[in-house]
Amino acid sequence: MDPRKEFGKAVTEIAENNDKIVVISADSGKSSGFGEFMKLYPDRYYEIGIMEQAAVGVASGLATTGKIPVFCAIAPFVTLRPYEMFRNDIGYMKQNAKIVGRNCGFTYSDLGATHHSLEDFAITRMIPGVTVLAPQDPTEIRSAVKAMIEHEGPVYMRIGNPKIPVLFEERPFEIGKGHVLEDGTDVTVISTGSVTQAVLKAADSLRKQGISVQVIGMPTVWPIDKELVISAAKKTGKIVTVEEHYLDGGLGTIVSEVCSSEYPVPVKRLGVPKTYATSGTYEELLAYYGLDAEGIEKSVKEFLNNIPE
Amino acid sequence: MLDLKRSPAADIRKIEKLKAISAQCRKNVLRMVRAGGHGHLGGAFSCIDIITALYYHAMNVDADHPEMEDRDRFILSAGHKCMAQYAVLAEKGFFPKEILDTYGKLHSRIPGHPDMHKLPGIEANTGALGHGLSIACGMALGIKQEKKSSRVFVLLGDGELAEGSNWEAAAVAAHYQLDNLIAFVDHNGLQISGKVKDIMNMTPIDERFKSFGWAVKNIDGNNMEEIVSVLDSLPVEPGKPTMIVAHTVKAKGLSFGENKVSYHFWSPSDEELEKAEKEIEERLERQKNIAEMSVREW
Repeated sequence: MDPRKEFGKAVTEIAENNDKIVVISADSGKSSGFGEFMKLYPDRYYEIGIMEQAAVGVASGLATTGKIPVFCAIAPFVTLRPYEMFRNDIGYMKQNAKIVGRNCGFTYSDLGATHHSLEDFAITRMIPGVTVLAPQDPTEIRSAVKAMIEHEGPVYMRIGNPKIPVLFEERPFEIGKGHVLEDGTDVTVISTGSVTQAVLKAADSLRKQGISVQVIGMPTVWPIDKELVISAAKKTGKIVTVEEHYLDGGLGTIVSEVCSSEYPVPVKRLGVPKTYATSGTYEELLAYYGLDAEGIEKSVKEFLNNIPE
Repeated sequence: MLDLKRSPAADIRKIEKLKAISAQCRKNVLRMVRAGGHGHLGGAFSCIDIITALYYHAMNVDADHPEMEDRDRFILSAGHKCMAQYAVLAEKGFFPKEILDTYGKLHSRIPGHPDMHKLPGIEANTGALGHGLSIACGMALGIKQEKKSSRVFVLLGDGELAEGSNWEAAAVAAHYQLDNLIAFVDHNGLQISGKVKDIMNMTPIDERFKSFGWAVKNIDGNNMEEIVSVLDSLPVEPGKPTMIVAHTVKAKGLSFGENKVSYHFWSPSDEELEKAEKEIEERLERQKNIAEMSVREW
């Protein structure tokens, strides 16, 4: 399923019974799945044009009047370009606005590094009060949208672009909570966003080779589910993190921070080295950076083989 | 808002009273400088006549109910001029004047740039330039969608106009025909490093906003009659946002600081501050007398 369509549909459905929801577009509405919303609620749809700084400021102003603005566009353009507006107008002003970065990570693979977003977790979680979400499958996108709208306060959510499989049954999305997706005892793999599908495949393969992998899905990147991380550290003594994000500043960094201060265990971070990622098909990029099932499996094995006793 | 019958006599009384209030507010600014030892005085004094007129003449606000739903909003986009807004809000009764003595102090509710969560009457956290106009557009859109009559006033600095985000917002305001949005540019011609026209020339301000689709007026922004007159004529053109280019003098009212770049951010010596306090006090007494006389004579 197309994550953007799932997202747009979810917002549109909630908007039927919540007239506070307004959508902001920076020439990005249709590609964000808001085609239906535009038709149904034209007076609640604000096209701002290719002006992301104004779009975030306008979102803040609308929120001060009680609206719940949802602004979705390509991830780097809603995070990096208007970052000071995000920090001051949304964060510092504590406004109930929802900023959604689509085509996140390097899902805009062949369009090149200007269109990749590999630092959005790192920079959005640095804004005090901002909740950072990265749902992992279409079901979770729908429940995360509901939770995002119900949550009073600023939220950044990232979603991808390529079709993703359904992994989960419908369940309520609890902000700040992760889930044990597979039980295991040798090592815990914690992942977020759509890369979780590859983690589950890798874990399955490792299990067949006699390695018992606990898999934790962490759709809330910030605030992190601290208790779950600590319990994993205690249970398996080793943690691997997987994310379509720079190795620095994202899920891996956050998990390392929790472990170093609460229960130190070895943590191996998988992601993209801090470089301007290369271009190619999405599958090629995942494989190149070791974020497909095979790459994850290989890295977990290497990690387990190289931990000093 | 002053509730005076509209007649030339009432107008004169009103204007003289507003002048007395703005003189008192300049005194309030010096009280903050006395407390903190410094502050952005130049811009505060150039825009304080406008802010006085907004709160005492034009805007529907209630100091006892600062968040009342149908209030008019004021955003000081050039947040560094906040001593002017604090001075007027305190005078108007939004918060006790004693708070003015905490300027520059630890945990003050009146920091060097305004914080809406610390003080009643502040609508946006400004300070980084080029933010206020976009926020104001969002407010104006939300108000229009609710079919409310509230208006949104914004005050920008002329140096601030160099921030590109202002021009994004200028396009939004015209595109959405936000005639409930009224912006002032405090055009004192000076910014921290020198003359605005030498640093990055943004003139002609009026023509630029006109070409963006705004209704534009030029006024003397330190002349109370002109400020009141333009505020009484809003919206200047239905279907268009209003830009009032207010030609002002930096540090207006402080004779030895007027039109001097060095008074953008002022760290006075004791002697200099005393001289300023004396001058402002004299002006205030003089203006109070004129205001009282104008009431008696009519």
